[in-house]
Amino acid sequence: MLWTEKYRPKNFDEVLGNIKAKKEILEWTEEWKNGNPQKCLFLIGPPGTGKTTFAHLIASEFSDSIELNASDKRSYDAIMSTVGEASSSMTLFGSKLKLIILDEVDGLHGNDDRGGSRAINKIMKEGIQPVIMMANDPYSKRITSFKSKCKVINMRKVHTNSIVSFLKKICVKEGVEFEEHVLRTLAKRSSGDLRSAITDLEIMAKGEDKITAEDLELVSQKDERSNIFDAVRTILKSKNPTRIKGAMRQIEADPSLLLEMVTENIPREYEKKEEIEKAYEMISEADIYLGRAFSTRVYTYWKYAYDFMSVGVALSKDETYKKFARYTNSSVYTMLSKSRSKRDLQSRVAEKIGEKLHTSKKVAISQFPYFEVMFQNDDIAYNMMMYFGLEDDEVKLFRSRKIKAPKKSKSKKKEDVEASKSKSSTKKVESMETKRDNKASKTQKKIKKADSNSDSKNNKKSPEGSKNIPSKSDKKAKKNENNDESKGKQVSLFSFK
Amino acid sequence: MNGPWVEKYRPSNLNEVVGQDHIIQRLKRYVEEHSMPNLMFTGPAGVGKTTTAIALAKSILGEYWRQNFLELNASDARGIDTVRTNIKHFCRLKAVGAPFRIVFLDEVDNMTKDAQHALRREMEMYTKTASFVLSCNYSSKIIDPIQSRCAIFRFAPVKGTQIIKRLEIISEAENLNIKRNAIESIVYFAEGDLRKAINILQASASTTDEITEDSIHEIVSKAKPQDVRKIVNKALNGDFLSARDLLREVMVIQGTSGEDMITQIYQEISRMSMENLIEENTYVDLIQSIGEYDYRIREGSNPRIQLEALLTKFLLKGKAD
Repeated sequence: MLWTEKYRPKNFDEVLGNIKAKKEILEWTEEWKNGNPQKCLFLIGPPGTGKTTFAHLIASEFSDSIELNASDKRSYDAIMSTVGEASSSMTLFGSKLKLIILDEVDGLHGNDDRGGSRAINKIMKEGIQPVIMMANDPYSKRITSFKSKCKVINMRKVHTNSIVSFLKKICVKEGVEFEEHVLRTLAKRSSGDLRSAITDLEIMAKGEDKITAEDLELVSQKDERSNIFDAVRTILKSKNPTRIKGAMRQIEADPSLLLEMVTENIPREYEKKEEIEKAYEMISEADIYLGRAFSTRVYTYWKYAYDFMSVGVALSKDETYKKFARYTNSSVYTMLSKSRSKRDLQSRVAEKIGEKLHTSKKVAISQFPYFEVMFQNDDIAYNMMMYFGLEDDEVKLFRSRKIKAPKKSKSKKKEDVEASKSKSSTKKVESMETKRDNKASKTQKKIKKADSNSDSKNNKKSPEGSKNIPSKSDKKAKKNENNDESKGKQVSLFSFK
Repeated sequence: MNGPWVEKYRPSNLNEVVGQDHIIQRLKRYVEEHSMPNLMFTGPAGVGKTTTAIALAKSILGEYWRQNFLELNASDARGIDTVRTNIKHFCRLKAVGAPFRIVFLDEVDNMTKDAQHALRREMEMYTKTASFVLSCNYSSKIIDPIQSRCAIFRFAPVKGTQIIKRLEIISEAENLNIKRNAIESIVYFAEGDLRKAINILQASASTTDEITEDSIHEIVSKAKPQDVRKIVNKALNGDFLSARDLLREVMVIQGTSGEDMITQIYQEISRMSMENLIEENTYVDLIQSIGEYDYRIREGSNPRIQLEALLTKFLLKGKAD
């Protein structure tokens, strides 16, 4: 049994801190039991301050309860079907109250939990049964609509001294020798989160008969990223499977993220080629199970993946290293964020090309190198651009130079000259607008100007009622609305009108 | 506006389809009978699965084939919802101007098992109004119930002689000046993939008026992931971290696929062995590893992680330090 469960308060007296909150909660519970319906109780506060503990203690005062937390789907239908009926109907023997607990309401997901807040509002309105809601973030937009209709109770962080004394109590009960300053460090690090302090203590102390400052290395800082680093550190530094499994239990990271982090740091810790090779064999194995879990949707395979990437990797080293190695975040993530715009572009182009060539994006991308070669040829590039309907910035994926207007359209050039005469004034506006632009966008502008010129001609013609041309210019205008960089052009269009 | 030759010269009827003669024979019988079972086309890339499916749809559905043909080919936008809604909407309506409707699903092996199961239900429900044509690279990744509902046609890589014939037809139509050995060299690099062959031809034609064996080599090496040689050498020299960084760059930023990478690595190792840069025994060991990791990648693991693991094998087999 986890210590957080084992030492969870059994009655209101045992709860640490939050005395005022405790009093209010007790009053609320009493009122309900005396047959006076109360507003919904809303406990707001950081993790580990006792919200869930209170909720469960209150539940034990009532005959029955239902709980929905973030792991359940919480769309309108889902909530109404599990809680809805309970909220509006009394049980046969009148006096029985059914407590409804909605945990982590600030975590309602916009999409998956569509209508969730509507359902919660409805339940609160009906108000026949006692409702408790919990949330971490008092400023979350998701909960503003509830706050006014509830009795809000703000939960404070637990004071360090209270945490220390509680940890001491546990150590004594578990028969673990301790140094006071170690417990104090643990308590401070938890920054008022009693649960995490207990979890940390458990990792350090379970199965040991004493804890020292060195053990602090095993656990720590609370935000998830650093937790992951700690797990990674434990995996790479230790050869003790129990300890490693303990560290693994503590983190709640997505397995592929953890895999990525362990993988990244293997060669930073391990020095022998054989060790790196062996560790990577384990990584490969873990990854295979992640793949299998994904494709078969059998997520119980994850446990094998976790074991391979933790214990498997840990035992790949001959002996532990006594050095300090700087661990880093996986370079893959930095690369991904740096190259996002390029990859977006790539996928946009691949979609356009794939649609014309009847292939998936993946197949289209595999043919990109050939297109890159073809796009070096002006005529073919122009031809392809029109065929696939690529925008100027999309063409840049294949060639850096702008595409020269094809030789055949001499008439267009004439238009250029004509239009530029008639429009010299608008041009000035344009150039002022875009003065700070660099060369690349200048070349773009040129193409666009050609565009806008033909547009302007179309505008002249359109009153005469030629069907084709106006629709074409419409299309172009539409395209340009999508194009961020088309400001210059839009200016010219307006001023022309 | 002609666009890419792969599209311009895509066969529009079954007679023109290159290779796969016995398959075409069978399909023609369906056209004569105006009925067909659900079909599954399986085979490597660029052998004509999509082309055959479209050509078949045109011949069997006749004039109104477009209205009665649903093609879902974006392998990434095909979750269970698409299967349930799009296909259902399409199949619910009776065919107009054609004997029935055809749903063509590309790369079914990339669909999740759940989506495949949903698909299986659709295939059962609409037998009267629609037939399904599925295509995939590996039939082993298709759930059994779907396989048992389909007539399975296995497409073989297109034979060299047939690729040559096709390339010659295109070269003539496009008025190309191309040497016979240049065509043979394209065939060598295409490895039975006609789409690749035609793209190599068009790429070469775009750079030069006279296509020779050398210009083909130049195109192919341009189109190759450039850094594979560097990556392999770094790993062999014991510099694992920089080999890994470069690998990540090529795969993450440039978006080269795992399959492409491993093929290139294989070719690189082969070349090194031929030039006596690595010993025979080492060569065999490395090929063993490459084969194993190739399999792991195709089985559906994360290609980048598997390739990094492969690099550690190179690390061990590298020049002794």
